[in-house]
Amino acid sequence: MARDIFRRLVRWEGLLLAILAVIVVVTGIAVPGYLNPQNQINLLELSIEKAIVVLAMTFVIVSGEIDLSIASVMGLSAVLVAWLKEQGVPVEVGIIAALLVGALCGLFNGYWVAVIGLPSLAVTLAGLIGYRGAALLLVGDRSIGGFPEWFNRLGQQPLLGPFPLALMVFAVLLVGATVLLQFSGFGRYAYVVGSSPEVARFSGVRVRRVKLAVFAMSGVVSAFAGVLLLARLGAVRGSTAEGFELDIITMVLLGGVSIFGGSGTMAGVILSILVVLNLRNGLALANATGNTQAGVIGALLILSVLVPNLVAAARSRLGRGGSAEAAVIPKLSDL
Amino acid sequence: MALQAGEIHALLGENGAGKSTLIKIMTGVVQPDGGDVFVDGRQVRVGSALEAQALGIAAVYQEPMIFPDLSVAENIFISHRDRGRIVDRGAMRRDAEAVLDRLGVRLDVGEPARGLTVAAQQTVEIAKALSLRVRVLIMDEPTASLSAHEVRRLFGIVKALRGEGVAILFISHRMEDVFQIADRVTVLRDGRWISTRPRSEVTPASAIRDMVGRTMGDFFRRTPTRPGDVVLEVRGLAREGVFAGVSFTLRAGEVLGLAGLVGARRTDVGLALFGIAPADAGEVLVDSRPVTIRSPQDALRVGIAYTTEDRRQLGLVFPLSIAANVTLPTLRRYLSRFGLVRRAAEDAVAQGFKERLSIRAPSVRTAAGSLSGGNQQKVVLSKWLNTRPRVFILDEPTRGLDVGAKAEVHQIIDELAHDGIAVILISSELPEVLAMSDRILVMREGRQMAVFDSAEATQERVLAAAMGQLATPAVVV
Repeated sequence: MARDIFRRLVRWEGLLLAILAVIVVVTGIAVPGYLNPQNQINLLELSIEKAIVVLAMTFVIVSGEIDLSIASVMGLSAVLVAWLKEQGVPVEVGIIAALLVGALCGLFNGYWVAVIGLPSLAVTLAGLIGYRGAALLLVGDRSIGGFPEWFNRLGQQPLLGPFPLALMVFAVLLVGATVLLQFSGFGRYAYVVGSSPEVARFSGVRVRRVKLAVFAMSGVVSAFAGVLLLARLGAVRGSTAEGFELDIITMVLLGGVSIFGGSGTMAGVILSILVVLNLRNGLALANATGNTQAGVIGALLILSVLVPNLVAAARSRLGRGGSAEAAVIPKLSDL
Repeated sequence: MALQAGEIHALLGENGAGKSTLIKIMTGVVQPDGGDVFVDGRQVRVGSALEAQALGIAAVYQEPMIFPDLSVAENIFISHRDRGRIVDRGAMRRDAEAVLDRLGVRLDVGEPARGLTVAAQQTVEIAKALSLRVRVLIMDEPTASLSAHEVRRLFGIVKALRGEGVAILFISHRMEDVFQIADRVTVLRDGRWISTRPRSEVTPASAIRDMVGRTMGDFFRRTPTRPGDVVLEVRGLAREGVFAGVSFTLRAGEVLGLAGLVGARRTDVGLALFGIAPADAGEVLVDSRPVTIRSPQDALRVGIAYTTEDRRQLGLVFPLSIAANVTLPTLRRYLSRFGLVRRAAEDAVAQGFKERLSIRAPSVRTAAGSLSGGNQQKVVLSKWLNTRPRVFILDEPTRGLDVGAKAEVHQIIDELAHDGIAVILISSELPEVLAMSDRILVMREGRQMAVFDSAEATQERVLAAAMGQLATPAVVV
């Protein structure tokens, strides 16, 4: 009985929920109007593109890989729409082109990782530099604005009630990603490929295909997020979205997704997004500098990697069954 | 047993006879539960690899343990701690050349070890042992990866060492090596000492007699089945540099045992038939139709299933539930129209296997990694049975299981045969192969040596074939 309670407490989602509650309550008391729904919507809106990419990145990390090129793909897709507009191509067509290029970027990464077998860290680091370079080549260091009214309105004004388009897109994608990861055959394959690629291969799972699909998804979703970012900002330059990858990966890992692949849940990831955004906002309202915010989030991230492993080590020392690995990932057995 | 200075002492024994464990005790890797070790008449405790080194005990293995990016000289002196903190490269080169000279070998000591042949790498290891003033040199299957020419050179080196008064413990599955070089021969069986004799008093036949004779009393008795049609036919199957010339036919309801010593390449035949490491020559026919198997998907399509010998690494996804593991190769059957997993259907099929194979677990949602070895193996079997295989390749299905679990797995194999599945049983336990198989295919170093009917197979004959001492001509079926 005591053991069950211990287990439940240790479940990462529970811990995140507790942290979120503390942050919200403390900030809510300290700052009047903080819990106002409009404030929460604004808060989410300012990072909504990152949150969307977090959903795709979760699949990448669950399947045991990493994609560092996402922010560059976001930037490239936004730049591409702008550059094509300058060439006289309608924005609608530009968006389709951007999504296609995003898919190609993802497939390119996936080819080297899944088919050739190179480490994704190296491949997507090259992607990070290469795709950003392509964006800079297209527009130099100019800023391009002057988009059609309808496009800017989609990005900057509420579409339905108080909700902007991007937020509704996120909600839909969140439901879709949750179903895909936790309940679909594809999600099952992603976990298996991340947890034990060799077992997957010996079981007739098409490991390469799963990885290719995951990288392609990451590319398309990043490109889409880049377009949404463009609509919200109303202008773009070569450096747009630079550095976003670190925030995005942080949110995934803090959500309890193991960097080694094969574990983590969408519930944890969404909680982690809320924790990071509320923490940032709360700290900002408390007049903490950006550096302090980054420091606090960095500390949380280290804890998120350390705590499960310390718990696992403690458990295996107490002889609570299973190897250290098995103990880090108790959630999957619910699958 | 005793090792004398200046002798070459061969150690013989079947798989699992305890040779490796003996080496590990001598080199301080594991500690004995009982008994004593004496060096030069003094009782010693070999508590660690470092202490073994101080006592002058060194081992050379089939696959040399060298640092590929360090030079030959650096590899030779890697374990020296007697020369201060600063490396004197010039002195190291000279000393390395001097040691190799004593062995009568010329190598560029500045070259990285990576580029050397296996034989040369072994020489480097022997030189390393020599530089540490070795008294006892253990050689574990040193000739297994060498050509005939390299073996002759190695034996020259070994004899030179004997001349210097080193005691050499020589472990090999190759009878011809043993009889060419050993002064005395010791046989182990079931972890026990059986005999030590001068070579002149030993013949291959007498050595094999000592090696076999493991008890069969506890083993399962097959219930007779009537074999059906030919399901699998394999002709001249080969994979470059791994195995060649494997041919057999297998009927529904038959169990074909693959016997052989370590390094016989039996697992590689299984992996080729399952498409993990595909064959590059030969024909495979399933139900008399030729098939091409280049991937596990191909194998599954024609009804071939394979359970790996490495259950921990390759058998199960430990964090996943029993049910999810059981349905992994066949997940498509359990997807709804929208690609979602139908949990109820999945649980139902897993529950069926849980009852049929009596898998002891709280529920089919239990994580597979939390089960005991025997129950894990039953989940592995369920997973592959659920693919409804025609041919089921079982690679060491009872390895690491306790007696009770072993008996259960044997029972399951018997039932598979009754259900008309053609079974290929790869096992290193001779009594198991003999008890479970209708026919036994014996391999040695990637070659098919013989096929025996269970009626004519004895431990002695199978082992003789596995060691290349064929009393009867190979039966080609």
